[in-house]
Amino acid sequence: METVKSIGIDAGSTTLKIVGVNEEGKILFTIVEDADPKVEEQTESILNKLKENYDIESSKIVATGYGSNLIKADKKITEITCHAKGIYEHFKSGGTAVDIGGQDNKVILISKGGKVIDFIMNDKCASGTGRFLENTAWRLKIPTEKMAELALNSDGEVKISSTCAVFAESEVISHLSRGEKLEHVIKGLHRAMVKRITSMIYAIGFNPPLMLSGGVAKNKAVVKMLEEELGEKPLIPENPQIMGAFGAALLGLSK
Amino acid sequence: MLHIKIPTRREVIEKAKAEGKKIAAVYPIHYPRELFRAFNIQPIEVWGPPKTDTKKANAHLQSYICSVVQSGLAFYLEGGINVADIIVVPHSCDSLQGLGSIYKDFIKPKQELITIYLPREKNRENVEFLSKELKRIYKQLAEFTHFEPDREKLLEEIKKEEEIDVLVAKFYKSRENLPLSSREFYTILRAREYLPVELFKNILNYALLHSSSGKLKKTGIVISGLLPEPMEILDVIDEMDGFVALDDMACCMRRVYGEGSADDPFERMAERIVNSTPDPTKGSSVDERADFLKSLIDISGAKGVVFYNVKFCEPEYFYHPLLKDKLNESGIKSIVIETDINEPISQQTITRIKAFIEMLKEESRWA
Ligand SMILES: Nc1ncnc2c1ncn2[C@@H]1O[C@H](COP(=O)(O)OP(=O)(O)OP(=O)(O)O)[C@@H](O)[C@H]1O
Ligand code: SF4
Ligand SMILES: [Mg+2]
Repeated sequence: METVKSIGIDAGSTTLKIVGVNEEGKILFTIVEDADPKVEEQTESILNKLKENYDIESSKIVATGYGSNLIKADKKITEITCHAKGIYEHFKSGGTAVDIGGQDNKVILISKGGKVIDFIMNDKCASGTGRFLENTAWRLKIPTEKMAELALNSDGEVKISSTCAVFAESEVISHLSRGEKLEHVIKGLHRAMVKRITSMIYAIGFNPPLMLSGGVAKNKAVVKMLEEELGEKPLIPENPQIMGAFGAALLGLSK
Repeated sequence: MLHIKIPTRREVIEKAKAEGKKIAAVYPIHYPRELFRAFNIQPIEVWGPPKTDTKKANAHLQSYICSVVQSGLAFYLEGGINVADIIVVPHSCDSLQGLGSIYKDFIKPKQELITIYLPREKNRENVEFLSKELKRIYKQLAEFTHFEPDREKLLEEIKKEEEIDVLVAKFYKSRENLPLSSREFYTILRAREYLPVELFKNILNYALLHSSSGKLKKTGIVISGLLPEPMEILDVIDEMDGFVALDDMACCMRRVYGEGSADDPFERMAERIVNSTPDPTKGSSVDERADFLKSLIDISGAKGVVFYNVKFCEPEYFYHPLLKDKLNESGIKSIVIETDINEPISQQTITRIKAFIEMLKEESRWA
């Protein structure tokens, strides 16, 4: 049985991510599940199952994310520090990290040495977060993944002027009722979300490269549009969603 | 932790009434406490109050007004100010000036309404202007109370406030040596907003007795803004092993006035207010404010600045990006958080403050 030195738990507003690393910081396992309202029980049952294949008796546990208060851990560290750490260690580069999750977005400036220099984050507002797209997805009964595909392959675009999730949703509905093509409207919706993120990036001062984390980084339309807006190809880890949990696990290794 | 029993506003009001004192409900920010005390009037400041239901007030106000004025009006409409004999509205900003007009033109309260026009820059003309303004208020109070405190009485009250200002400065200086949480520290400091002079002095002196030589080994933060509300923010700072080392807050440090030099009581009161620390409601320059914040950092050894921005507080907005840049140039990190004194702080705000302190700690580790 392999010994897990440290476990990072990112209890986000939307999903629960768990990453285990060995002494060298090499990832041994990753788990991503939809977040249960009782995240403490969900975590415990996952950890119990892990015991069948890994030695986690003496693992350090570092929790981050929205639900971290509920989780038993050796350390609690904010998502900002954890995502920055995960991204920095993954790419071995400073620059601008953008984490777009279900409910929050963060733009983090990372120094060459891996320190957080500055950051900004949305407040009580779904603008520019996963929820912005999900709202409309639920309303139209189209999965978010499918929406991204529609936007990516659309040959036209309808301007959605609002970056507010509630107003944007009603704008979408009114465009559709006026007979605009679904994919054109969906593409416009993605653009509105990306514009919001871009303005946050400029507000803090863009320092390339742009490195993405969080579930929304799996949305290819968002990635492509970010490239269009910033004129810079974003770097994306194979699994961007686990970067926070990975960073948390790594922070468990340091004293 | 100290166990200090601080009377509540209600208790102070009841006692003052029983002693035959008149009560003045005073809105933010600057006013001469000593002038009111000389008339045997107990000033009770109205900073909100926080967590007020502002429904009734909202009908009379534009939706983009700050929560301090929203609650301030709601509090009146709810009858919260009924106990007062006098209402004082300093013209600190457009919103408070607007509130003054609402009182004067629409509400026409049964209480005596006093407005104070406050000058902006620090200069001789403004001391003269404010000195005249205070004489006008003296006359209004004299007519209302049928009492005319003489020069000696005025000077006596001024001296008492000057003494308290020195004591408050000492309280700040001892911050690191006091076994108080940030919330406790500010609860004590802010009791000045409604306590009689002697009582407040006793409380400060008692707290200072507990000052020890051991310093708090925590990350110091300077907070800047109007008032440290919601107080949960202070708890978050403490929870992260931080503490508020000094402040640039309208309700606290910005009203620790220096000693006046004039022998004329009105001039002396005016000098104290006009020469106070840099203040956005006085249109202080960005450089003055940045230098002041830097000096607070230097004195206290704090590591960064948290700007509390009461949402829609128009005087503060303009400065933040510029102050952030200026502080950055000197290697000082800062963060702006938006607050509403009537709403609980958001999870995102908590995360941002925590991440800010993590960033400062990391910084110190590398330094
Ligand atoms: N393949 C995908 N295509 C498009 N969107 C996706 C995809 N996978 C996940 N998402 C979106 O990612 C978001 C969830 O991201 P993530 O797991 O990083 O959030 P979280 O950490 O729980 O939230 P937060 O950080 O805001 O608390 C959801 O809005 C979801 O719709
Ligand atoms: S919070 Fe700002 S806008 Fe509101 S009363 Fe105070 S200074 Fe004026
Ligand atoms: Mg997240």
